[in-house]
Amino acid sequence: MSGSKCSKLGGILLKQVLDSVDTVLFDCDGVIWRGDQVISGAADVINRLKEAGKRVFFVTNNSTKTRTMYAEKMAKMGFKVAEEEVFGTAYCCAIYLKNVCQLQGKKVYLIGNPAMAQELAAAGIQQTGEGPDLICGQQIDWANVPLDPDVKAVVVGFDQHFSYMKLNRALQYLIRQDCMFVGTNRDSRLPLEGGKAVPGTGCLLQAVETAAQQKAQTVGKPSKFMFESLALQFGVDRERCLMVGDRLDTDILLGSNCGLKTLLTLTGVSTLADAEAHEKSGCTERQKMVPDYYVDSIADLLPALQA
Amino acid sequence: MAAVFGFKGCQKIRGPQIRNLLEAKDFFLFDCDGVIWHGEKAISGATAVVNSLIRRGKNVFFVTNNCTRPRENYVLKFSRLGFNGVILEQIFSSSYCSALYLRDVVKVRGQVFVIGCDGLRRELLQAAIPCVEEADDPGATIYDCPLAANVKAVLVGHDDKMTFLKLAKASCYLRDPECLFLATDNDPWHPLSGGRILPGSGSLTAALEVASGRKATVIGKPSRFMFECISSQFSGVDPAQCLMVGDRLEVDMLFGSNCGLDTMLTLTGVSQIEEAQEYRNSELTSNHSFVPDYVVDTIADFLPAFEELEEQSS
Repeated sequence: MSGSKCSKLGGILLKQVLDSVDTVLFDCDGVIWRGDQVISGAADVINRLKEAGKRVFFVTNNSTKTRTMYAEKMAKMGFKVAEEEVFGTAYCCAIYLKNVCQLQGKKVYLIGNPAMAQELAAAGIQQTGEGPDLICGQQIDWANVPLDPDVKAVVVGFDQHFSYMKLNRALQYLIRQDCMFVGTNRDSRLPLEGGKAVPGTGCLLQAVETAAQQKAQTVGKPSKFMFESLALQFGVDRERCLMVGDRLDTDILLGSNCGLKTLLTLTGVSTLADAEAHEKSGCTERQKMVPDYYVDSIADLLPALQA
Repeated sequence: MAAVFGFKGCQKIRGPQIRNLLEAKDFFLFDCDGVIWHGEKAISGATAVVNSLIRRGKNVFFVTNNCTRPRENYVLKFSRLGFNGVILEQIFSSSYCSALYLRDVVKVRGQVFVIGCDGLRRELLQAAIPCVEEADDPGATIYDCPLAANVKAVLVGHDDKMTFLKLAKASCYLRDPECLFLATDNDPWHPLSGGRILPGSGSLTAALEVASGRKATVIGKPSRFMFECISSQFSGVDPAQCLMVGDRLEVDMLFGSNCGLDTMLTLTGVSQIEEAQEYRNSELTSNHSFVPDYVVDTIADFLPAFEELEEQSS
């Protein structure tokens, strides 16, 4: 699409854009819900898009739910969604470890959560490390902590039990044993309802990367892996695909990296001022974070869907 | 100084050259881990070197980023390992200096939220700096934790009891731009004996920097502050008469460079001479600050120089 970027979507332009796409990808946190609170009108938008013959998928960096758990949450909120339409990082990380890292039938050291453990198991990958792990013994014990020789990768996702001991074990695996290093995502904060937030996986990943002086491969946005998995499974035409998100540095950047049209919704993290600042920056990297369009909320898509 | 002795950066020096250095310098700053001891074992010859320097009336200081014990414990360790007559006032640890920073530079009025171990808390307590209680509310979760009132600074150091909850609380306090963000040091990992390493303060600080979107002010090496503590407590400390002896290029040599001191790398610790040479040959001028002026295999290499000085004076 030539012409200016960051246009407000409404009226005729909205109809034109919707007619020009067959597939719509939605981020979740800050786009269709905030924590456990649905964004007003969101369920209607998703359901009507599907009724109008569009394919709808969900692409989220949040690693704390399996596809089944996401589908259940969505059903409770009135979204008509099937499991296969949800691409969260717990699922995608397991797919990445299985298909790209070839770890099916192997084991990983996991800093993560029960959802990740479940998705790994479903992909035929064992894990050790999930759950609380507090320090005991002396410094020299920690440095000599016994390592499971079957562990082939260190995997980092959201872990509320993150502790010094887990950080230490990850470090020991990475330096004493030849291990791959994979993270779900780099988001600095996990947004919750009521505008609250907790430190995100990005913090935990940075701690391990700093201690080990190694960089992890990341599965989540803005890395292309989740889109490419989805596109491969479902045969998506990039030219007729719209990415809808609330974060310029993950959702919009992913869209740009994959050649998709991009729509910023203002119910989440990034503001219009953030987008305009990137636009005025004159820096090519930052230009990739300027969305094609924006709306105040995805409910603004409804007028074009009610006809 | 290096030009006077005709050396370029990074040269190993021996007997006569070390003797010249010993005569020219009045202040010797030693890192500890990997320089004078490995864990609970003094490096062979180190006690003789330190004791000789002190006997000769040289000013000897110990400058360490290790924030896990209070200075009183260090005094006991020095004595235990055979370093005679090392007193409290010669020891500058990043925990002690963090307390000084809060008390004298920031003049903090309010509480400090500390992510660190007992050694750090004790230094703060001794400087009469109120710290938020460590014990957690039993009902606290990462999504809903009670916060203390009037927290004016967050201080991060090595903490083997680090948890997500502490990270969550710290990032809440740091949402207030008036709340300071301090780190005892930035070392990504700490070496233990036998080639093993453990995660360092730097890795915990990095996590909190991502969570808060803010950068910490680092108290320990390579920041200048610990040298400023030494200069403010002892008169006549002239950088030109100082020698910084350390084992980590990115910490000790950079510290020396930042403070205008001559630097010596000893090869009994973390950094290898090849790394120093790579930095010297690097096109990035910023890397040159990591290059030592002098290199020794071990500080025990000072000993022949002492003997020569003894012979000369007799």
